[in-house]
Amino acid sequence: MSVLKKIRIVEFADGVPGPLAALRLSDLGADVIKVESAEGDWLRNAAPALPGSEMSAAFFELNRGKRSVVLDEKLTLSALLKIADVFITDRTPEQLAALGVTGIDAEPYAANPKLVRVGISFWGDRGPLRLNKGSELAAQAMAGYTRYLGSREAPACRLGADVACAGTGIFAVQATLAALIARAKSGVGQRVTLSLLNSLLALKSIHLAAQSDPDVYAGPRVGGANYPPERGWKTNDEPIFFAFGGSVGAEGRPGWVKFCEEAGFNRLLDDSRFDKIGRDSTGYGIHVQALRAEYEREFARYSAEELVALIRKHTGNAASYQRADQALVHPQTTALGVVREVAAAGGARGKVRAFPARFSNMQPEIKGVAPKLGEHTQSVSAELSR
Amino acid sequence: MRVMDVSIMAAGPWTAALLGMLGAEVIKVEPPAGDGTRWVAPTQRGMGTNFMSMNVNKRDIVLDFKKAEDRAAALELAATCDIFVQNFRVGVIERLGLDYESVKRVNPNIIYCAISGFGETGPLAKAGCADYIMQAYSGFARLNGAPGETLEAFRFTGFLDLTTASVATEAVLAALLARELGGAGQKVEVSMLEAAMEIETTRIAEYLGGGLIPQPRGSESPGIVPDRAFATLDNEVFVTAHNDAEFAGFCRALERPQLADDARFQTNRLRVANREALFNEVAPLFKARPALWWQRVMRREGVACTQAFQFETFRHHQQVVMNDMIANLATRDWGTVSVAGTPWHFAQTPCAVREPPRPGEDTAAVLAQLAARKEKAGA
Repeated sequence: MSVLKKIRIVEFADGVPGPLAALRLSDLGADVIKVESAEGDWLRNAAPALPGSEMSAAFFELNRGKRSVVLDEKLTLSALLKIADVFITDRTPEQLAALGVTGIDAEPYAANPKLVRVGISFWGDRGPLRLNKGSELAAQAMAGYTRYLGSREAPACRLGADVACAGTGIFAVQATLAALIARAKSGVGQRVTLSLLNSLLALKSIHLAAQSDPDVYAGPRVGGANYPPERGWKTNDEPIFFAFGGSVGAEGRPGWVKFCEEAGFNRLLDDSRFDKIGRDSTGYGIHVQALRAEYEREFARYSAEELVALIRKHTGNAASYQRADQALVHPQTTALGVVREVAAAGGARGKVRAFPARFSNMQPEIKGVAPKLGEHTQSVSAELSR
Repeated sequence: MRVMDVSIMAAGPWTAALLGMLGAEVIKVEPPAGDGTRWVAPTQRGMGTNFMSMNVNKRDIVLDFKKAEDRAAALELAATCDIFVQNFRVGVIERLGLDYESVKRVNPNIIYCAISGFGETGPLAKAGCADYIMQAYSGFARLNGAPGETLEAFRFTGFLDLTTASVATEAVLAALLARELGGAGQKVEVSMLEAAMEIETTRIAEYLGGGLIPQPRGSESPGIVPDRAFATLDNEVFVTAHNDAEFAGFCRALERPQLADDARFQTNRLRVANREALFNEVAPLFKARPALWWQRVMRREGVACTQAFQFETFRHHQQVVMNDMIANLATRDWGTVSVAGTPWHFAQTPCAVREPPRPGEDTAAVLAQLAARKEKAGA
């Protein structure tokens, strides 16, 4: 079954957060009408484009299966919202009022009391920055994320993943589903608001707590921002990350000695600077910086694949640093069916990612073909006047 | 709604915490040795801050799954719950008798959420995982670093655990809605691997759809230009123009309006192709004035521009405070601890963040409740 089969979503949001939220709800069966300005969602023009197309790859990934409309005299936003169950937008109430939609932030929404209204902003629904422009990058900087990459002497780096935008998209799916659950009981919709900054601070809860009033200056949750760049341990090919003696259970994972023996690292066993469970010299242990080179001398005889297998065999955690394109074709990722082929424009096929979870009783529906700007304006108009 | 949470560390516990923030009654079940996060550094007045942040909005009981009577109590408790959350390594939960089939037998309507590192099938199903392992495996770390570098891990441990919890909560709510609409309970499987790839969505699309190998770009993004940090007379500023209109504003703020009409920079695709040329034009301008100035003029022109903040500078920021983005919880034993506020703000069904429990403080009450229920059923 498709849980959202009878749910109609009007999405009026650019870029990543709103469109990602509506995409996942579409996977769960919802019908999504994407409203765009005459210039279109800016993500259409991002780089890179699909081969032989003007449409960006990211736009295709996030907007497949939707219909696109551009508002005109015949097709108004007010009319669309009368027939919608969910409205996902990154426009402010003031911008919506200018389009003739008033009271979107009133409870209940008089024009359609059942409507769930999901409002996404950069900086939050209130406060001095409410109307300031923001971005993925600006949100990362303001939420203190850029401090945990690079070093203070070098130009700042961002997280390469669009964590503020995608994180907000995920939280917006939760907000929509929770509001629909509440609506199933109460019969009325409500407004829910989210912001990029709020999402990044939510995903930082561990670090907020760690910095509240710590007993001692210890561990990466207090000191991580001031550590040198972390690039793992070099091997004879790809670098790896590994850890023994994690925090699970008092005695940790006991395989470090056997790992060193089997790999022929007896020198490390005799070195008094190494604890004998590997806790302090691996992972984010306190002696990692000082002892990294000792491991790397030994690791030079092995490939990443050999070391990772050996570490896992002896109950440590390990992985080699893969690029995303390598991870996508790794047997584990293919076993999960992460990548799906769907129809793209003009009879071509395109690859996208499936819904990121599995249900025993529901099969998400991975649709294809992302719409051209305003492709469905007339048909949706006709549908409304029927 | 009642949630039974037998998970430890972060990805499972924060899933249950998010459900708690949404109003569910959450019962955390700890082993006698305790959730390991109680001892992860740093502590605050003796309690792991990690434990505190991941276990808000919960009651807490201790059960020893090595004892048959406690395993029986766990199943009895599961029979009273709507949602079950576990993140044991694949294979372990069957040994404890708390796998989906066993729980379903006592509670067919349960939404059973199983969180794993690499998924429940495939060659790595049983491999150990953690945030930094998945940063390496999923490609997340190889998106970070200065141009020309190949990787840099995010020294912010636990980020992918919380991402996984977010995806898990999304999936649990979908299953819960299906049940509310008349469907049955079901099992929901979430892996750190798929969650990591969800948060990498645009960069993976860059490869899947656009054929580009995703790699580190310093502070820049592959998709739009300008979108990067600029050195100023003092602090760096982080500036983004998403479209041509914002780019025109960017040029006006720099007092170079003619740049917007330059044939090399007229559209985003052209700016991406000529990103070096644009940088060379504007970098000296940014360098000549301080961050404060750029934030003022970019704001006037409707362009995103901010400085970097850190905990001490954003925790009291009016924007953060007014939107309840951080919750300062006065705990009974461990002083005041700051944790995340809720990521969503509902107009009609408000959420709250409540202090974490004392480990085991609800054991007696919950067990008494189960006993009373059993007696009633027997009577």
